[in-house]
Amino acid sequence: METALLLNTSTLLTLITILTPTLLPLLSENFKNSPATITRTVKTAFMISLVPMTLFMYSGMESIASCWEWKFTTNFKIPLSFKIDQYSVMFFPIALFVTWSILQFAMWYMSTEPYIMKFFSYLLMFLIAMLTLTIANNMFLLFIGWEGVGIMSFLLIGWWQGRAEANTAALQAVLYNRIGDIGLILSMAWLASTLNTWEVQQPPSHTQTPTIPLLGLILAATGKSAQFGLHPWLPAAMEGPTPVSALLHSSTMVVAGIFLLIRTHPMLTTNPTALSTCLCLGALSTLFAATCALTQNDIKKIIAFSTSSQLGLMMVTIGLNLPQLAFLHISTHAFFKAMLFLCSGSIIHNLNGEQDIRKMGGLQKTLPTTTSCLTIGSMALMGTPFLAGFYSKDLIIESLNTSYLNTWALLLTLLATMFTATYSLRMILLVQTGFTRIPPTTPMNENNPTIINPITRLALGSITAGLLITSFILPTKTPPMTMPTITKTAAIIITALGITLALELSNMTHTLTQPKQNPYSNFSTTLGYFNPLIHRASPSTLLNSGQKIASHLIDLSWYKKMGPEGLADLQLTMAKTSTSLHSGLIKTYLGSFALSIFIILLST
Amino acid sequence: MSFPHLSFYSAFTLSSLGLAFHRTHLISALLCLESIILSIYIALSIWPIENQATTFTTMPLLILTFSACEAATGLAMLVASTRTHGSDHLHNLNLLQC
Repeated sequence: METALLLNTSTLLTLITILTPTLLPLLSENFKNSPATITRTVKTAFMISLVPMTLFMYSGMESIASCWEWKFTTNFKIPLSFKIDQYSVMFFPIALFVTWSILQFAMWYMSTEPYIMKFFSYLLMFLIAMLTLTIANNMFLLFIGWEGVGIMSFLLIGWWQGRAEANTAALQAVLYNRIGDIGLILSMAWLASTLNTWEVQQPPSHTQTPTIPLLGLILAATGKSAQFGLHPWLPAAMEGPTPVSALLHSSTMVVAGIFLLIRTHPMLTTNPTALSTCLCLGALSTLFAATCALTQNDIKKIIAFSTSSQLGLMMVTIGLNLPQLAFLHISTHAFFKAMLFLCSGSIIHNLNGEQDIRKMGGLQKTLPTTTSCLTIGSMALMGTPFLAGFYSKDLIIESLNTSYLNTWALLLTLLATMFTATYSLRMILLVQTGFTRIPPTTPMNENNPTIINPITRLALGSITAGLLITSFILPTKTPPMTMPTITKTAAIIITALGITLALELSNMTHTLTQPKQNPYSNFSTTLGYFNPLIHRASPSTLLNSGQKIASHLIDLSWYKKMGPEGLADLQLTMAKTSTSLHSGLIKTYLGSFALSIFIILLST
Repeated sequence: MSFPHLSFYSAFTLSSLGLAFHRTHLISALLCLESIILSIYIALSIWPIENQATTFTTMPLLILTFSACEAATGLAMLVASTRTHGSDHLHNLNLLQC
């Protein structure tokens, strides 16, 4: 009995701890926030959140805590309720751990920033919104968290607002997220009008849910998680500072869309159309992002496309009807992706702002810790056996191979896995090995505990997280146990093929062969021609049709030809014709007699 | 078409066209008007004989009365216009011309 009390209390205590730096300066005059206090707050919250996690692992207890009810109308009430189930209980410690490491790193990375306090408070507000989204039991609270993370993403991407590309990227992020929000609001409206509730566990799961609200949810996930079609904002979001990229656009915000689909999974299970849509959309996104990452030269963009590709993989898992596995991939992905971003941040700062991998090389000797952790993170990403990524990624590939599904989706995902290995190894080879291509007078120093501790902490997480999570959390669906040897080793073989391909590609740098322009490399370099096509075509079509309807159709044709002026013109013509008859001469009047005689003659 | 019909129609039409297309004098218009009345009188006289309807036998008398009044009015207007304008040319009647 006291387990429930302890669970609920400790979860609420975590949330309140996070809220403290926002509330305390309002209450007392001589309390000032500083980056160190915020980092300490998040660390404390992480420690506290380990309590509910241990409780859940030990007893399997889940609970729903309702605090207050907004009595909207008589039969539609919106409670402020927190769902403490396996997803939120596992996500809290992981998100807080990653955020703690990133905040510690940001104290070094943004140390010369004059508005560093505002930066840290933005990051804290983002964390609050993300945790609200995670723990929400109804769509209203989830929507509050959803919009919160969208706004903080906008503010943080455009942090260096004097830079025009940063402003464009922030605007792009907000616009694409808004298009996804249309889908979310559609689903919320359908839920409110059909099922009279916004709770996520109330929709009945025995009948088939109509496809329209599920497509709305999938559209929301496409917008927030950068699936193909609404994806360009994620590579553009790399204009923000590296801690922002590490927190928002790798571990937490972009998984919000996938998290929404995991939460509303009982509705998705019964509708095979929606599941197939998820599958094909995810497969397309993962392959597209992996193809684009092959020819990128900016280290942050490679990692951004890698994130986009892994999000596609998570979407594929949802399409396979395996939400728990998708959540496992979210958890393990958070560790190594955040670490990859932090390593790239350390490299960029140490090279005095150089982000192009063609101008890096031989960093293994000068930045040993950073590059070792970069290698660990890339190997975890590739799914090296028994690192963190293996437990989730290999399971996904095995489930893909052994289920009854669309072969095209399977092929695309396998191809994307190969490309993952290729671009990861290309990045490692170009950044760390070989002869150095950096200017000789670069002062490189990574002997700062503020850099080393977060990165090594996350490296420890990337190595052990997979094992720990799968050991303590039981799967709700039976994983496939028996399969042919080649199916079992498919992921490893494809990764090895990708590594071979990467080694071949990296020879081009050493032997200085010029890359020839062929259609495939052009496709990859220009990100699939998506950006110029869509960003120019759709606004100009819309504006053109707007001009046609408003100006040409209404103003010119209706008013001038048909409506008032057209009638006036007709009258004018007739008046001009009949003026010649009204001359006032007797001859004309007598001529009308003749006219009537002719008419009489003709009529008889 | 029988012979009286044809003659009546042609007389009426020719007289009307004459009324419309005269050139110079008012009196020629009045003469044409008289011939119109004449053709109508003859037609009205023949009609009850042809149709053996005796009730319409008094119609020509009425027409004759009206035509006499009308001819008198026309001649009075001719005299009036001669007194004011000096001749009966039709192009003198141009008060309404703009």
